[in-house]
Amino acid sequence: MAPPAQSQRSQSPSQPSGKSEVSDLKLQLRQLAGSRAPGVDDSKRELFKKVISYMTIGIDVSSLFGEMVMCSATSDIVLKKMCYLYVGNYAKVNPDLALLTINFLQRDCHDEDPMIRGLALRSLCSLRVANLVEYLVGPLGSGLKDSNSYVRTVAVVGVLKLYHISASTCVDADFPSTLKHLMLNDPDTQIVANCLSALEEIWSAEASTSEEAAREREALISKPFIYYLLNRIKEFSEWAQCLVLELVTKYVPSDSSEIFDIMNLLEDRLQHANGAVVLATVKVFLQLTLSMTDVHQQVYERIKAPLLTLVSSGSPEQSYAVLSHLHLLVLRAPYVFSSDYKHFYCQYNEPSYVKRLKLEMLTAVANESNTYEIVTELCEYAANVDIPIARESIRAVGKIALQQYDVNAIVDRLLQFLEMEKDYVTAEALVLVKDLLRKYPQWSHDCIAVVGNISSKNVQEPKAKAALIWMLGEYSQDMQDAPYILESLVENWDEEHSAEVRLHLLTAVMKCFFKRPPETQSALGAALAAGIGDFHQDVHDRALFYYRILRYNVSVAEQVVNPPKQAVSVFADTQSSEIKDRIFDEFNSLSVLYQKPSYMFTDKEHRGPLEFADELGNLSIGEAAHNVISSQRVEENDKDLLLTTAEKEETRGSSNNGSVYAVPYDSSTSVFASQTQIESAISNPTTAGHSQHASFGIDDLLGLGMPAVPDVASPPQLKLNTKAALDPNAFQQKWRQLPVALSQELSLSPQGVASLTVPQALLRHMQSHSIHCIASGGQSPNFKFFFFAQKYEEPSNYLVECIINTTSAKAQVKIKADDQSTSQAFSSLFELALSKFGTP
Amino acid sequence: MPVAASAIYFLNLRGDVLINRLYRDDVGGNMVDAFRMHIMQTKELGTCPVRQIGGCSFFYMRISNVYIVIVVSSNANVACAFKFVVEAVALFKSYFGGAFDEDAIRNNFVLIYELLDEIMDFGYPQNLSPEILKLYITQEGVRSPFSSKPSDKPVPNATLQVTGAVGWRREGLVYKKNEVFLDIVESVNLLMSSKGSVLRCDVTGKILMKCFLSGMPDLKLGLNDKIGLEKESQLKSRPAKSGKTIELDDVTFHQCVNLTRFNSEKTVSFVPPDGEFELMKYRITEGVNLPFRVLPTIKELGRTRMEVNVKVKSVFGAKMFALGVVIKIPVPKQTAKTSFQVTSGRAKYQASIDCLVWKIRKFPGQTEPTLSAEVELISTIAEKKSWTRPPIQMEFQVPMFTASGLRVRFLKVWEKSGYNTVEWVRYITKAGSYEIRC
Repeated sequence: MAPPAQSQRSQSPSQPSGKSEVSDLKLQLRQLAGSRAPGVDDSKRELFKKVISYMTIGIDVSSLFGEMVMCSATSDIVLKKMCYLYVGNYAKVNPDLALLTINFLQRDCHDEDPMIRGLALRSLCSLRVANLVEYLVGPLGSGLKDSNSYVRTVAVVGVLKLYHISASTCVDADFPSTLKHLMLNDPDTQIVANCLSALEEIWSAEASTSEEAAREREALISKPFIYYLLNRIKEFSEWAQCLVLELVTKYVPSDSSEIFDIMNLLEDRLQHANGAVVLATVKVFLQLTLSMTDVHQQVYERIKAPLLTLVSSGSPEQSYAVLSHLHLLVLRAPYVFSSDYKHFYCQYNEPSYVKRLKLEMLTAVANESNTYEIVTELCEYAANVDIPIARESIRAVGKIALQQYDVNAIVDRLLQFLEMEKDYVTAEALVLVKDLLRKYPQWSHDCIAVVGNISSKNVQEPKAKAALIWMLGEYSQDMQDAPYILESLVENWDEEHSAEVRLHLLTAVMKCFFKRPPETQSALGAALAAGIGDFHQDVHDRALFYYRILRYNVSVAEQVVNPPKQAVSVFADTQSSEIKDRIFDEFNSLSVLYQKPSYMFTDKEHRGPLEFADELGNLSIGEAAHNVISSQRVEENDKDLLLTTAEKEETRGSSNNGSVYAVPYDSSTSVFASQTQIESAISNPTTAGHSQHASFGIDDLLGLGMPAVPDVASPPQLKLNTKAALDPNAFQQKWRQLPVALSQELSLSPQGVASLTVPQALLRHMQSHSIHCIASGGQSPNFKFFFFAQKYEEPSNYLVECIINTTSAKAQVKIKADDQSTSQAFSSLFELALSKFGTP
Repeated sequence: MPVAASAIYFLNLRGDVLINRLYRDDVGGNMVDAFRMHIMQTKELGTCPVRQIGGCSFFYMRISNVYIVIVVSSNANVACAFKFVVEAVALFKSYFGGAFDEDAIRNNFVLIYELLDEIMDFGYPQNLSPEILKLYITQEGVRSPFSSKPSDKPVPNATLQVTGAVGWRREGLVYKKNEVFLDIVESVNLLMSSKGSVLRCDVTGKILMKCFLSGMPDLKLGLNDKIGLEKESQLKSRPAKSGKTIELDDVTFHQCVNLTRFNSEKTVSFVPPDGEFELMKYRITEGVNLPFRVLPTIKELGRTRMEVNVKVKSVFGAKMFALGVVIKIPVPKQTAKTSFQVTSGRAKYQASIDCLVWKIRKFPGQTEPTLSAEVELISTIAEKKSWTRPPIQMEFQVPMFTASGLRVRFLKVWEKSGYNTVEWVRYITKAGSYEIRC
């Protein structure tokens, strides 16, 4: 046979050529149409092939319609098939010509060969011409009753096609109930499966208007029907099994023994060679056991091995799909895969989308036992593979650092990154060091020493530059050159293109000013002047706002810019748990890959601008829920920094087009937050009064002419340092040296007892009262804690041993203090803090 | 719904449509343009195999020089869609004999249209079993391994076989000589740190079979895996024989294997399809015997010279030998000149992949050839970037060796006519991703 390839190579769809060839073909077809010479079928075949190859490459051959139909009056099945293909392709655009084909298709529907009957019926239903539907009903009706299963299979799908062309014709002919009958009685499982998919589609579409359809759809997940399918599961083809399993996930068993029956029946599906069947089975297991916590955990153990096999076998695309699901699971149950972390080591030649997911898996499974190995491996990637992955792996190291309690070694690694002298490595590491310092202020000393050596000229990326500037502002008291670096940055204000960097620069200069006023004064003046003249609205607003608040009251300004800060214990989660649950409900679908529930990408109204607003709502809820303690105290310019972890998510999210996470960066939110905070600061003079110590003639320095703030006597109450830090060895030493200053028994409120299910609950609470935990342990009902606190602005420590018994609701407290005279005051503070535990 | 694909496209690397099949009307005909515009012509290509453009999601896979794109408009089952593409490609390959590329598609496009019509209807996957499809497909592949002629009339009861208990095997097969070929093919994946410690190591194995057996034979396969042996000794109430047993982490089987019997008796019993198929796949992470140890030392001497010494040690039996051993040792891009000394095989510098490629055709067990090379670099002032040292990669095949230690203990064939069969068993271990950091 002459391969048509050669002749087509040169032609591309855009070329206008092909006209002459088409008319040539037309002529040849016409000659052959009436001929009955032997061997005519072979020449027809060649011609038909040519026509179809033209059709495929986009040349319009619809003008041959008549000739093609004439030539198809043949018994040769090969010719018929090609003709059906041609007709199916052009009928839609030539409805008039399509009428020509009805006749011979209808005739073929009664052919004695079941294969021709099936093919003709399929082509007839694929014409997709609305005014021809009346011709479909008859052949479909007889097709559904055909003795041959092939014809019935085709007819069932034909009904669905008819429904999509004309729903009313399909329903009026009562096809759905015929399908239902077939579904329950046909011996061929492929027909049962096709009926199931057709009926699911039809009844779901009808359910909104017809109560009967809604009832029928419910009946699909009724016990008898589900059992009917499950008992035949092995007879179904692998694809049909996926369909059935998906249906089973919607079924609600009546009791636990039923759940176990179903799981026992389906357990061998986990060994099926088709990964789609395995995933579908996994979904059934997970959904069925949602209400049974213990069994649900066992299910995770059971599905682990099959899922890991799926990751390592098959094409990269398949492992990508499976890894996305693993990632969803690991977020729900991190411990399950924690000993299998080696499966997620990247191979050198893997595509980057697989590597990226593996990095996320490594981040998610990291715990006390494997962190060292995982971080070591991640550090390899930072030096070894392509740049986007290197960046991701550095971020992964940072994320792990933020999750862990023991970050000692990780901090060292991050600091090594800073010294690697690769631009992108430095940039990523700076952002991470910043996040790390916000969570573990006690590391500031080590980090600042290294950060101080980085020249701001080598940092170009806005995110990294912003992070560096933030650190310069926040730790300006520890960094010798901070005011001068900031000053030189302010001088180059006009060359700084990123508004984010300029915003941070403003705030950093402000912070620095309050810590080292004489050195920063001129820089602040220049920064405010440049900021007020800035074309970017947010920068302008912030500069103006700083200027005015400085004029209004310097101590209030400091209260706003440099309040006592508390370490961020939990970074804001970007997705609400409600959304996560919805994604989990849609396991084994696109939702998992896109990491958003299906309504967000399938419903028209959720795409586009509305998605934005919708997400904003979700985010504020999520944030409030996850970040209750910290969000209240985080000062305004931290608000935008707070979201940097979310932003890392965004790089991945951005590949999904609808950037779900993009909303919070809108700096208007941060400006808004800052204003509300100001209002509270101003309306609450007692808090403003605490920071009087900074009011040394700022009006003179700036020449803004503000009245000096009257000195308020220091408050009688003991003030604690919110950023207290003490390393465990020092604690132990002190605990041994110091005598017990106070020992007493306190009682807990009933709410407190109720909230104390795990030690962490109390830790977080006490931290919000500036009392930090250094060690904790125990299980309900007996808990033991060691706390420490530091006097504000004085290196005086308080150490506490606290043993809580939740059944008696009593706490045995032993307090030791550097300064014995204030231990009574501290004790009352501690008592107050403890009594508030559990109250909202 | 598992897939409900709206359309499937086959594109070449330039983005020309080779084959398109629109199953549903819910996506426009210009979807392929969207794919070309937003994926093929951007940097996005290859960054993610699933993309959403407009209201549609695109799943795409590259297979040799062809992109296969599935378009869906709803929330589809991704795993199922990719598996479908993989299966479909395997099916096409079986029709046109081996290669699946642009030329093969152009030469067989009518056949592919026919197949696409049968394997998917209105977006729902139908039957992909080659045995059954044979009965419906009229076109012959340009190099078809099947004997059916286009003029063959389907067997009258052909379609009934779809429903029969054994959907994957036709009745009434007759062979003069009844033979079974069984291949255990393992690929070893290794990731070794520069300090010589194994970071990650596992074996993925598959058992491939070729059956030329008459009638409806029942086969039973016994392996030296731990669970199977324990179960056996339990059943026969006698202690397990000593000897090495293998612990399989996870096993999946071809649909012909009776999984209920595997779960209760731990034996692999099945009625095989005719011809070639993959009986089972398994994965092992514990107790892997690595066939090769690689000991590299790479020294950078100043800015323009490097010294590379690589010793490769074969740790399998002295009577065995590996075939087609290739060791790729990466060198920096700015390599100017290389000189080698090898104790076995041949080595050369391949600039296109920036590697020294050392090939040893036949590599006996318990030997340790070495390569020592000197690499001269062009001194570059502009480029300050330090070299990132990609890992050394290795390819090999070791016949009659299994890295997992898995062995076939028995393969029994029962057929009611009681004929004699000849069984052939082979083992081979290949390199999967065998990487040694240096």
